[in-house]
Amino acid sequence: MTLGVREKDLPPPSAESPVQHLEERKAQIYENLRDLQFEYRVGKLSDEDYAKTKTELQTELAKVMSAIDQTMGATPAAAKVEAEAKPEPGTVCPHCKARFEKALKFCGECGKAMVEGAV
Amino acid sequence: MENLGALAILLALCLSGYAVLASIVGKLRNKPLLVLSGERAVYTIWLLLTTASGLLLYGLLAGDFRLAYVARHSNRAMPVMYKIAAWWGGMEGSLLLWGWILSTYSAVVVWTNRRKFRDMMPYTTAILMAVQCFFLLLIAFPENPFEVLAVGKGITEVPDGNGLNPLLQYWTMAIHPPMLYLGYVGFVVPFAFAMGSLITRQPGDAWIHTTRRWTLFTWMCQSTGILLGAGWAYAVLGWGGYWGWDPVENASLLPWITATAFLHSVMMQEKKGMMKVWNMVLISSTFFLCIFGTFLTRSGIVGSVHAFAQSAIGKYFVAFLAVGIAATVYLILDRLDYLKSDAHLESVLSRESSFLFNNLILLASCFAVLWGTIFPVISEAVTGEKISVDAPFYNRVNVPIGLFLLLLTGVGPLIAWRRSSWESLKRAFRWPTIIGVAVMAVSAGLGALHFYALMSFGLCAFVMTTICMEFWKGSRAIASKTHQNLIAAMVELTHRNTRRYGGYIVHMAMVFLFLGFTGAAFNKDATHDVRVGDKFTIGRYDLKIRDLLDGDNENYSWRKAIVEVSVGGSVVDTLEPEQRVYKASRQPTSEVSIRRRLNEDLYLNFAGVTNDGKNLAIIQSYVFPLVSWIWVGFYTMLVGTIICLIPSKVKMQHMKTETVGYVKKNAPVHP
Amino acid sequence: MPLYIRRLLLALVAGLCLAQSSSDMLTPAIRRVGDRLACLCGSCKNTVASCSMLGCHYSSPARERIAKLQAEGKSDEEIVDDFIKREGKRALAVPPAEGFHLLSWVMPFVAIGIGLAAIWAFVKRNRKPVAAPAAVDEAVLNRYQAEIDKDLAKLE
Repeated sequence: MTLGVREKDLPPPSAESPVQHLEERKAQIYENLRDLQFEYRVGKLSDEDYAKTKTELQTELAKVMSAIDQTMGATPAAAKVEAEAKPEPGTVCPHCKARFEKALKFCGECGKAMVEGAV
Repeated sequence: MENLGALAILLALCLSGYAVLASIVGKLRNKPLLVLSGERAVYTIWLLLTTASGLLLYGLLAGDFRLAYVARHSNRAMPVMYKIAAWWGGMEGSLLLWGWILSTYSAVVVWTNRRKFRDMMPYTTAILMAVQCFFLLLIAFPENPFEVLAVGKGITEVPDGNGLNPLLQYWTMAIHPPMLYLGYVGFVVPFAFAMGSLITRQPGDAWIHTTRRWTLFTWMCQSTGILLGAGWAYAVLGWGGYWGWDPVENASLLPWITATAFLHSVMMQEKKGMMKVWNMVLISSTFFLCIFGTFLTRSGIVGSVHAFAQSAIGKYFVAFLAVGIAATVYLILDRLDYLKSDAHLESVLSRESSFLFNNLILLASCFAVLWGTIFPVISEAVTGEKISVDAPFYNRVNVPIGLFLLLLTGVGPLIAWRRSSWESLKRAFRWPTIIGVAVMAVSAGLGALHFYALMSFGLCAFVMTTICMEFWKGSRAIASKTHQNLIAAMVELTHRNTRRYGGYIVHMAMVFLFLGFTGAAFNKDATHDVRVGDKFTIGRYDLKIRDLLDGDNENYSWRKAIVEVSVGGSVVDTLEPEQRVYKASRQPTSEVSIRRRLNEDLYLNFAGVTNDGKNLAIIQSYVFPLVSWIWVGFYTMLVGTIICLIPSKVKMQHMKTETVGYVKKNAPVHP
Repeated sequence: MPLYIRRLLLALVAGLCLAQSSSDMLTPAIRRVGDRLACLCGSCKNTVASCSMLGCHYSSPARERIAKLQAEGKSDEEIVDDFIKREGKRALAVPPAEGFHLLSWVMPFVAIGIGLAAIWAFVKRNRKPVAAPAAVDEAVLNRYQAEIDKDLAKLE
């Protein structure tokens, strides 16, 4: 089992994106923003502190987003590999090209049928 | 059979060495097949160790007394549950359990990450397997559980074994060691990921996200292990104590403290990318303290710390710790640039600083415990004079530190991230402070005139109020928006941010624990020599000896007292403290009888019989106020940690946008 | 005092016939002194007053000894000194606050002090310069503002 390793046993090429860590950072900042909003709503923060912290977080967010765009722009090859990965049927609208996490019958964006022939 | 077991262990040892080499060489030479074969080795090791453990268990259950281990730790008369528990009743078996748990964890880690972190995983695997290799080395050579009893050249068999130490024949003790081990071993995983990401200079904090649940689960097991041990001591040892500050207990407490510090400080890294070096240091110290703890706990030689250098496996452990610590320190120092953080502290009055203080206080208590444990050795080396460092030392040093920590538990969560203003803090703390002071005044009025106890009661009330206010405010905000009732809103609130509100519940558990500890300031005890019909009083209880019985079964002989408990003239309970003498080991043990109530426990111990000719029964009676809150705290902690482990309900919808968005950038994604 | 003498006599009688008795010797006075003395019976970390092992070969005789010395009218200090003379400093439950042993008490708090200093240094070094965010940030922020706002609206 250990020594009889064959080529076909190799796991398929990983689907890791080159901006994985930036995406995580971005999600984290959104989380922080959400937290901040909630804490402000329950009255833990003064208006001034809230405004300041919010601006800071948004600035950081913008920086991360621009870093993502730069990386993606700089590595078209990587992006292409990703693009080739076939999406699950029913997750991409054939009409308006909106993407969804789960397979749907009708597009949530334009309302047309997602899978050909679905009524 | 013993040959098969020993062979499995030897094979596993070779394979663990192979896995380390294959992973590293495969990674360096860029040969994915070699890396894969290293991963396969991890699964094979699990199979081999499962076989070995199965064989040992079979030996214990079937009573194969040719095996030295079985003969020493099991006997025919023992119930099945304790025959199984004998697996970890002695050193060899418990090291095998350690190794088996580690191999299980490793297999799970390798399997769940088989497609992820292709850069980092080979190193993570290598580190896991290096630790595995070390333990297998111990199991294969100096502490082999499959050693047989032999006379000359022939294998012999004893008719019956010694049996498990009778003190360990108690249900919490049967699960306490595996729990503690699940905890000890579990910290290898975050450590391996941390080192893996350090070696490969992973961008971001992937190791933290991946291991967050491991760390929490592990922490939960460790807390459970420690508290089960305390519960065992309380219910079995017959002196009513749950914590004695002996080196073994301290050794299990140390990694728990650093792990707690890690769980807090890691939030700073996740939220703001700060404290990267510090978190590396904390997780490494936790891991090495776990190894140190295993060594102290399981060497079975501890009574005093001095003894450890004399044991055969002591040398192995010292070598492993020295090499491991040196390598870790080198690695961290070498990668300081990678660990550099660009985040700043916006304000001194912020959640960040409260975490700094939390870490400081936790580590200070860790240091105090460590210092107390090793001070006798240092002192003897310097002054040549033996001294004692007993419970009063730890209590005197740790009580103020603990109270300060309790204060921080209340204050920290109310301070906002990044910055906060005095004004909002004053508003937030008005009610908790008022209630805390009120509780102090009431307790003092009720006669609890003990400085630390009063402080503790006040702080418990303070922290409890802050937590309740957090829940109240949050659920009210949600209720006003969604028009749910408050209870539903509270569930919704917790579900939205399980980590924070689960954390609050764990804090609540800490309040209960402190409440339980504080009760010890008001303990009462008395010892009486009694015969049937005698009466005595302790606290508000009148006790009457109704009967004294004795008897005998195949495992032990016993004596017990039937004691009638009355309060204010009416009988409320009957307690039956018992003493047993186990036949196999001729060791007496106490089966204490406890009337557990939330306000106080009445605790009776049948300590023995006077041998002055009168054959009076010696009954030790104790009243322990509030001690039950420790166990309430334990269950609350379990609930809180499990809530933390549940994923939060609100998924960040935007973040998928980009990860799958290479097809069409920034396309909106709908749930 | 007669009570103590009676107890003492009882204890002596019990001791003579190698009695294992409940040694109900823990009067508040004995407890007061016993709490300052370590039980040296081996692995236990209790004091002479709090060790509850029945027939403990150290703490039971120690309690009897305390009772005897108290009956002779010795003060607490004298009794403790007597134990130190017999057993050395290890007879004390905690290290004495003198000479080298003072370190045992001081170090934990020194550690807190060092920690505080470290926190102070950390805060000082990491305190953000008050400088306003650079203009570039403004530009970047504006570019992404719309998207951020859209996402934020979805947050709750």
